[in-house]
Amino acid sequence: MTFDPRLPHEDGGAPRAHPLAEAAWLVAGAAVAGVLLTALAIGVADVASRWLPATVEARLFGGAFAPEGDHPRAPAARDVLARLAAHWPENPYAFRLSVTDLDAPNAFALPGGLVVVTRGLLEQVESENELAFVLGHEIGHFAGRDHLQALGRALVLSLGLQALLGFAGVDADVPAVASRLAERGYGRGQERAADRFGLALVAAEYGHVAGADAFFARLPDAEARFGRRAAAWFATHPVTATRIERLRAHAAERGWRADGPLTPLRGAGSAETSGTSGDGPEWGHRPGTGKRSHQASTSARSASRAPASSRRDSAS
Amino acid sequence: MEAWLDPALRLGAPLAFLLVTYAIGSAIERRHFRLLRVREVRSRHMPVATILEPPADWEVTGSALVTGSVVVSLDYWKRFLAGLRLLFGGRVSAYETLLERARREALLRMKERAHEAGYRAVIGVRLETSQIAPNGRQGKGTAGVEVLASGTALKLAR
Repeated sequence: MTFDPRLPHEDGGAPRAHPLAEAAWLVAGAAVAGVLLTALAIGVADVASRWLPATVEARLFGGAFAPEGDHPRAPAARDVLARLAAHWPENPYAFRLSVTDLDAPNAFALPGGLVVVTRGLLEQVESENELAFVLGHEIGHFAGRDHLQALGRALVLSLGLQALLGFAGVDADVPAVASRLAERGYGRGQERAADRFGLALVAAEYGHVAGADAFFARLPDAEARFGRRAAAWFATHPVTATRIERLRAHAAERGWRADGPLTPLRGAGSAETSGTSGDGPEWGHRPGTGKRSHQASTSARSASRAPASSRRDSAS
Repeated sequence: MEAWLDPALRLGAPLAFLLVTYAIGSAIERRHFRLLRVREVRSRHMPVATILEPPADWEVTGSALVTGSVVVSLDYWKRFLAGLRLLFGGRVSAYETLLERARREALLRMKERAHEAGYRAVIGVRLETSQIAPNGRQGKGTAGVEVLASGTALKLAR
């Protein structure tokens, strides 16, 4: 018997692609599948967030998130919030307000009707009117259901990424990545709609919109004073000259008075409040139109429909 | 910190780790395949067969059990490639090369041991593969596989 001294096959007898090429194809395939799935899931999340009844939302998230933190100005802020919400006839929420101990001025709308404001915001506003516009803006996010959409997207993105990367065995901190991606902020359309909604509430409450944008006009100072941390506001809320101009133009269009007495904010604080809007930035003038709260509150109602139509342009 | 920096770091660190493990792993693999070839050529004169009885024309003067075993594990890159295969199916070539190296190495160790002890051939050769640690996806333990080659080494009078 003779033995044929053959050498073993290389590559197990079957040729294979270069590992990098194989990885490239697989990753590309996973990316395409991931994009398609994510787009589908975001669509589902958006529709679900629009149709989730506020009563269900309250039951799901009522006790969730931050406990009510406190600040000398918090009772006054809660009072402003309640008065503003009264001008939104369809309001399904029982709003709560909590204070979080951050220097950077900011405010957030969280599911279940929770408005979170930072200590920095309460300390930096110089009149009730300024605070009212910021709170009205957040109420506008509730009216547009923007807060649920952001949460739904974060959830869906997290699940999708987890499935993809988890399968591939990559140990990335998936929920953190997803929420970072989702918290890139609301779309510009959503911000604009929330601004208009908030401004309508302010006009309905005070009969004028004086002082509403004074806070934004001062923000660059705040940034200089607090350094980069104040930039948190910029990350989640666009503050541009355009935004202020757009607010003024909108007020002029609706015929809301740009001048009027500013209401001082109750509670201990360093800010001083002035009597008139003379030293604040001026709104666009349309003297004599004298629209009052009745019309302003109907505008709030029409503004509540605005986010639905402008939600599409908020790809994040 | 820039807003994009944090997600970039969180995703970028595992990706960089992947590429580094690919570079190191494939360099080691290429070197191993080269050395395997050299040793296979050097030991090709020794017959290795799965037959259970020696051929009739061999005059067998002695026999012994010989074994050669290898334990192999995955690197991060191979695990990643195989993980992607979980989504799409198909040949897991990252594992194929790893196990091929293990089989050839085990056979060579068996032959070299037989040769050192003065044997001229090995018959009744078997290859066995067994998992020695659970899969390490959750970071518990290391995925490892043992490949064992065994056979009957023969001393021949000639």
